[in-house]
Amino acid sequence: MHSCIHSHRSAAIGAVLAAGLLLTSCAASPGAGGGTPVKGGTLTYASGDAEPTCLDPHVGGNYPQALVSTQYLESLVSRDGNGAIIPWLAKSWTESPDGLAWEFTLKDGVTFTDGTPLDAAAVQANVAHLQDPKTGSSTGYLALAKVTSTEAVSAKVVRFTLSAPDSALLESLTQPWLAIESPTGLARGMDENCAAPVGTGPFKVESWQKQDSVVLVRNATYTSPPADADHTGPAYLARIVWRFIPDSASRFAALQAGDVDVIDNAQPDTIVQAEKGDSITHLDAPRPGASNRIELNSSRPPFNDPRVREAFIRSANVDDAVTSLFQGTAKRSYSTLSSVEATAVQRPDLFGYDAKAADKLLDSAGWTARDAAGFRVKDGVRLTVQFPVSTNQSIPAERSLFEQIQATAKKTGFDVVLTPMDLASWYTALGENGYDAVSAPYSKVGPDVLRILFDSAGIVPAPSGYFANHAQVNDPEVDALLTEAAAVTDADKRAGLYTQVQNRVLEGFYILPLYDQQNHYLLSSRVSGARAMPTVSTPTFYDAWLPAE
Amino acid sequence: MSDLEIQADLGRQARARSPRRRRISVAEALAGAFALFLIAAAFAPSLVAPGDPLAIDPLSAFQAPNLVHWFGTDESGRDIFTRVSHGTGGSLVIGTLATGIGLGLGIVLGTMAGMLGRIVDFTVNRFLEVLFAFPGLLLALLVILVFGPGIQTATVAVGLATAPGYARIIRAQLISVRSAAFVEAATVLGRGRWQILVRHILPNTLAPLFVLGTLGIGQAVVWASALSYLGLGAAPPAAEWGAMLSAGRTYITSAWWLAFFPGLFIVLTAVTATSLGRALERRLRHA
Repeated sequence: MHSCIHSHRSAAIGAVLAAGLLLTSCAASPGAGGGTPVKGGTLTYASGDAEPTCLDPHVGGNYPQALVSTQYLESLVSRDGNGAIIPWLAKSWTESPDGLAWEFTLKDGVTFTDGTPLDAAAVQANVAHLQDPKTGSSTGYLALAKVTSTEAVSAKVVRFTLSAPDSALLESLTQPWLAIESPTGLARGMDENCAAPVGTGPFKVESWQKQDSVVLVRNATYTSPPADADHTGPAYLARIVWRFIPDSASRFAALQAGDVDVIDNAQPDTIVQAEKGDSITHLDAPRPGASNRIELNSSRPPFNDPRVREAFIRSANVDDAVTSLFQGTAKRSYSTLSSVEATAVQRPDLFGYDAKAADKLLDSAGWTARDAAGFRVKDGVRLTVQFPVSTNQSIPAERSLFEQIQATAKKTGFDVVLTPMDLASWYTALGENGYDAVSAPYSKVGPDVLRILFDSAGIVPAPSGYFANHAQVNDPEVDALLTEAAAVTDADKRAGLYTQVQNRVLEGFYILPLYDQQNHYLLSSRVSGARAMPTVSTPTFYDAWLPAE
Repeated sequence: MSDLEIQADLGRQARARSPRRRRISVAEALAGAFALFLIAAAFAPSLVAPGDPLAIDPLSAFQAPNLVHWFGTDESGRDIFTRVSHGTGGSLVIGTLATGIGLGLGIVLGTMAGMLGRIVDFTVNRFLEVLFAFPGLLLALLVILVFGPGIQTATVAVGLATAPGYARIIRAQLISVRSAAFVEAATVLGRGRWQILVRHILPNTLAPLFVLGTLGIGQAVVWASALSYLGLGAAPPAAEWGAMLSAGRTYITSAWWLAFFPGLFIVLTAVTATSLGRALERRLRHA
């Protein structure tokens, strides 16, 4: 079972979003096409995410890379719609009783598209590549933090040795950022590998014209679909042209005109519009891991005072903003985690809009005076919230939502300074601790994302320079709970610990949850068989096909 | 009065004579009325639209133009008429300042080229040719790249980008005035070089500059809006026409009024400035 395409009518949207997992319980094929798959054809995909600077998701490791690399790279394991781990490049695996050693047995007869065979040494080379500081991996590097060494038990069996038990290892390994690449490809050096990484996937990178498109062609000798795919053997499509169209209106116009077949990052108004007709179908696949939230930097004034953090959260009218801007396509979240995660704790009691309570909190925190512009001041300092906004990582509706929060927080006396930035300047602002509030999406399979976001170790930057604990939560109790949760294998106990962590973080007012990470794809009704991976909700076109011309 | 003195006196009179009365055309009247509206909105926006341009009202977002919200509301329920009106001041200030910077620089460069002899003329001309090699907006982008985005930078950038054009025109105008009979007359009468420049040449050069400036404000408003549209000028949610147009563009297929009204004001301002400029030009020419 897996995520599927919805051409549902508006009444159904709320219900579908309400139960993220509900998505995964319907059949894979979309309503429009049906029939027998046709071989051949070129599918054109238009991405609104930033164009990756490197097509190898080991380097850095962000969502734009995951989107495209899902087409040409594959992981050791995958996850099905119910959250169970299923075979992919590894056909089976075992964990030692003490949880410190894992052995993966690889599928037979799999070769990379450059002819290199998939064997234990190849997996070892990938782990080494991810852990090499020169690679500059953040996502993959963090996920493998506990892996101390790897060993080839035989040609097809690889053993991972861990420093401590890791209940999230399998979930981590499902992700595109830990995909297995050809060791021959990796040996070419970073520049060449970034331009055209070599994997085992159903497509391979043919060319990449920067600032325009990546051309992918079918891997004719493909043998390794994940256990939940609809067919075996090579993909149906002959080619995929992966275009970058950052402007959301142009992207939707291109889809309507038939210039492209699939778009991502669809704006709420275009989703509503598309659902009124029959020519476009809507695939809603919220990303796993963290919810979309605003993180409050607790390491420096004014948000080092929990009362000020709570005041900010109480002063923000998020509900009305979500209603006006998302037009029913997004549901308010009160959790640290995506609703896709079964362990997500929702705390609506903590995040209600209450301007009076906010006023009282600021008064008690000493921010009693107001200046001429109506902003609160204390000791001559204005209550300013520096809020850098990455224009590459947020759709316009989300930026409008920040503007609305700015407007409602102003009534309480917060001067929220929104600064739109490109991705590079935004990373720099974060690295220099030059922010009080920030919204950074973080997708990861499973609740272990909490460790990355809230463990005090996450304040220290990964080799790429990126750090994920933007709220700068530095709480020994949270650290202890996270360490314990990562080590226990008992599912119920693990869930209980993660519940405690979430309650502690939510009650500490470190974050203002907004909604699930929105991930809406719009597809021309010509496209059949496309689905989102139940791992990190990236689209896969392995089963997809287009009608004969 | 000798012949020469009459000639010199004519030069002074050329600018002093009252323009011949012409009938005001409908287009000019409309342009004048809109200019008055813009000036009112720029100096007293609260008179034209009493609301707060940044006040949100999420639950009345995306309302089409109606009797309460003449231009409709945007994605956050802000009144677009209020925002467009309050944005006038910013846009006009940017337009006027940028034109001022452009004209000021143009006058300095043009006068140098026109008055300080061949070598300076040659040098300034080559420099202007280099600047002309870049389209104006590209030159403005270059300035922003160096000094960073923002309203001030955008203003200076547009000013710098328009300067070469003005410098060229001023130089040409200076040269033609310099060889006019009344200047020759003043020279023959033994007037000093500085006196000739200030009393005879510049006054006869500046009148056309006034026309150029009026035309230029329209262009500067368009360019400044273009920079904000590209995210290099005013930042959202500021009520600036270019920034509003950019934010509204996202919803162009479902809520056209978000982008239409700021766009309309940019166009109307440019058209108004142009027709007023042309009207002035005609009157001066017929003088």
